Amino acid sequence: MMLNKLNRNEILSMGDKFRIYVLLVVVFITMTIFAPHFFNAWNLTSIMKTVSMNATVAIGFTIILIVGQLDLSVGTIITFAAVIGLGLKGAVGYGLSVPLAIVAGGLIGLINGVLVAKVKINSFIVTLGMLTALQGAIYTITGGNTIAVTDHQAFAISDWLQHQIIPMVTPRVIITLVLVIGSSVFLRKTRIGRNFFMVGGNSQTAWLAGVDSDSYTIVAFVISGVMAAIGGILFAMESAAATLNLGTNSLMYVLSATIIGGTSMAGGKGGVFRSFIAIVTLTMLYNGIVLLGLGNEVQIFISGIILASVILYEAYVEFKHEKLVGQRPELLKELEAAQ
Amino acid sequence: MKKTFSLLFVLVLALAFTGAVFANGGSEGSAESADSGNLEASLALDSAVAALTAADGQPLIKVSGTSRVVPARPADPEALSEDDPLHWWDMEFAGENSVKKNIPESPKDGAIGKKVIMIVHGDHPWTTACINGATKVADVYDMDFKALSPNWDLAVQNQMIDQAINEHPDLLLLIPLDAKTAPQQARKINQAGVPLIMFNTLPEAAAMDYCIAWTGPDDFGQFRKLSHLWADKLGKTGGVAYVQHAPGGSPYFARYWGPRSELAVYAPDIKVLDAQAPGFEADKTQQLVSDWLTRFGDELTGICAADDSAQALGITEALKKAGREDVVVIAAGNSKQGMDLVKEGKLFAITYQTAEGDGALAVKTAADWFNGVDLPPVRNLPQHMITADDVEDFYPPQW
Repeated sequence: MMLNKLNRNEILSMGDKFRIYVLLVVVFITMTIFAPHFFNAWNLTSIMKTVSMNATVAIGFTIILIVGQLDLSVGTIITFAAVIGLGLKGAVGYGLSVPLAIVAGGLIGLINGVLVAKVKINSFIVTLGMLTALQGAIYTITGGNTIAVTDHQAFAISDWLQHQIIPMVTPRVIITLVLVIGSSVFLRKTRIGRNFFMVGGNSQTAWLAGVDSDSYTIVAFVISGVMAAIGGILFAMESAAATLNLGTNSLMYVLSATIIGGTSMAGGKGGVFRSFIAIVTLTMLYNGIVLLGLGNEVQIFISGIILASVILYEAYVEFKHEKLVGQRPELLKELEAAQ
Repeated sequence: MKKTFSLLFVLVLALAFTGAVFANGGSEGSAESADSGNLEASLALDSAVAALTAADGQPLIKVSGTSRVVPARPADPEALSEDDPLHWWDMEFAGENSVKKNIPESPKDGAIGKKVIMIVHGDHPWTTACINGATKVADVYDMDFKALSPNWDLAVQNQMIDQAINEHPDLLLLIPLDAKTAPQQARKINQAGVPLIMFNTLPEAAAMDYCIAWTGPDDFGQFRKLSHLWADKLGKTGGVAYVQHAPGGSPYFARYWGPRSELAVYAPDIKVLDAQAPGFEADKTQQLVSDWLTRFGDELTGICAADDSAQALGITEALKKAGREDVVVIAAGNSKQGMDLVKEGKLFAITYQTAEGDGALAVKTAADWFNGVDLPPVRNLPQHMITADDVEDFYPPQW
């Protein structure tokens, strides 16, 4: 009965909103049934530990997409923060080196934000430039060497961060969950948070409503930098080492997950929590693929298929939406010209 | 929003609960200890393993016949100049002075049927050959053998280590992605009570404390030897440049500082002009070498590359375009490209780096441990330099 009342667009809208939860459940049940050693506390905890870094990065990245921008530098900010945090530990201890690493991430985000919002350079160009500059800085600072800490305190903190409190929950997972839930509530339940959607959805409306788009864009980049830095430094502390390509693979991973989670690259739409669920889903999928004895190439293939399917689906939804509201003036013009 | 949170909260609780309930349910114990007959049968297979050959026709299992002389460790190697060979003592001889911690005792019940998981560093033709070699030995012992590749991602390698521990293998073989991340990885595996053998990439000395043994090429030793050949060919004079390996791993240090510090003693008149790490793309290396030729001109008489495939191709192409085929080039590895270039006279010498043998030696060492053999902390592959004189002996190439 209820289904009868729902029109096609409502079903599409619901599918759009809940697809990632459906995907999570499907992957979880499939892997539980077919992948050996998938469903036990150790493995599920391992999945959540892996999720932590990229989930933290995805918070900032989602906000960046919501305001209609792009941040290609998150991967190198992860590495940069890890290098700063571990590199300075010997001199000032984690008590100061960790905050410094996070502040460094924020400053990088601030530079990105100012160049995008005030100097009006495309965010793709700005963050690509930042990525390259940071890579150079990292190699200069480290001399090409991995930064590692092998003292008793470093190992003790590493052990503590990955200590399983209850199945699936370690201190690092708790930190990640707090950040994810806090950011979700902030975005959805506060006026300032909702303004990010307005800036990305329609900047003219935002301007008419008295929302300073430039400030929100800058803040989004700062949040992105800070979150990438937190993700990087926590991972490095847990590994007791910061390799020079630590964040290299994170950009594509986070980008895929954020889009799969329903955040629009056009801006104005998305959710941090759904990005988090997408990261969990992809990590579970990759974990299960390995447990099934399949190779890395299968991982890449399947993630490509999922991403392509989601993008096609998004395009279809967008097409239906535009058709519905009659916002395809370019087609009308083409038709007029043809007549 | 509330609905979504409620839904997910319930889901997470359900997962945590079921996870807790099945905390030990998903794991499977390793195979029951075999009887003494298994040990005898396993030892009897050693001769079959010794008879295995690699794709290039060379014996698959080759252990360095000559023990390298290990000099006394300086009080503070770091305090010495980087051009002093002893500066690199902790890296070059990592493991020689390790203090083993919590190493499991050998079960001495044979290798047959043992569950062994190998975690490599990433996908590459070399890795494929390495896994092939490992599989050949594992098949002879009828091991339950599995190889995992994290595709050069440390986070994924850490996750794979967790996954491997979760499967309760009888032994874990690991190529650490980075020398300096190895101690914490080895420590974690050790704390989980899983016997560990590391191979190929030489880890930081601290990691050696937590593993049964390390096996692999003697990269420093190979390059010290190679540098002598190179210097003799150069007449112990001229200017040289180094195309380095990716920073971080032991090859980065062994293939640059190994020959450089050796030549500082053996041929001090050879001048180091530059050293760069352009990655493993032929075009980038070609550009780098072209720049060097412009910058240094005839002063550049020798180039040492960390890789005999893409890097070597880039180098030889740049030299050909500049008409500078007098430059003496050496490189690491014996890939098809490298050996073809040696045959053509474009590379003067390369090191014998058996990829299949690397994986095979790691599995053989694991089998020896199951068989109760006393193992040294370090087992090296043999040193050999391939030149135009003997390159034909190594065809067809392993990768």
